[in-house]
Amino acid sequence: MTLLGILFVAITIAFPPVIRQEAKAPQFDLKDVKGRTVRLSDYQGKVIMINFWATWCPPCRAEMPELVKLQREHRKEGLQIIGITYPPEKKSRVLRFAKSLKVNYPIALGTRELKSRYSSEETLPLTVVIDRDGKVKDIISGILLREEFDEKIKPLLMKRGDTENARSDH
Amino acid sequence: MRGRITSLVVSAAMVMTFGVMTAAAFTKTVTIRVQGMKCEKCSSSVTKALKATDGVEDAQVSSDKGEAVIKYDDAKLNEAKLREVINSTGFKAVDEKGQ
Repeated sequence: MTLLGILFVAITIAFPPVIRQEAKAPQFDLKDVKGRTVRLSDYQGKVIMINFWATWCPPCRAEMPELVKLQREHRKEGLQIIGITYPPEKKSRVLRFAKSLKVNYPIALGTRELKSRYSSEETLPLTVVIDRDGKVKDIISGILLREEFDEKIKPLLMKRGDTENARSDH
Repeated sequence: MRGRITSLVVSAAMVMTFGVMTAAAFTKTVTIRVQGMKCEKCSSSVTKALKATDGVEDAQVSSDKGEAVIKYDDAKLNEAKLREVINSTGFKAVDEKGQ
């Protein structure tokens, strides 16, 4: 029985469960480049784009100016981008890069384990789209194309969440 | 009557041949060398950006070889535009071994 238990724990560590679409997004509690805590729960009710990236990944760097633009343009509609780095990564390099691009959304230092909880795909960048109710709606692999934003994220910005709907019904 | 059928068959064959020739004339294949594609995790963005480009029929990108083999519609695109698309993904299209 104990052996079975050990085996189960080992399998769980080696192959962490990967979320499916419409599943509740796994929570995280990370530190940003300035040492502040970034929690997914802090952005409840917003349409969230979690962008896994790395300074050593050329497409990740190439798409960031566009992400900065999207955050600026759609902040009022409730869009929140969260950048999470993929190791190996140096905090000072991340900070320098984020400053040079005037990144206007939080950048947290991530782990391999956290990314694997969202997707088993090896691709970078990888963007997880979460709706206002905290459900994973899409996982966009590779550089984010403008058409993908218009098709997959814009409609979510126009929708209200279940909580808001329930509130307005009373 | 037989003459009419023959001329119809000849016309149809000509139309089909012309159609195939026109399609072939528009489809070109080019190999573009891409610099900096050392990261396997990242190279899929090049394929994605190319395939999303209007006029690209197929794109095979290899990070091992450091190149992209692209089939495209010559009437809609040119190599300069393809290089621009590759560069927009953060890599550098250096030159091409035209085919």
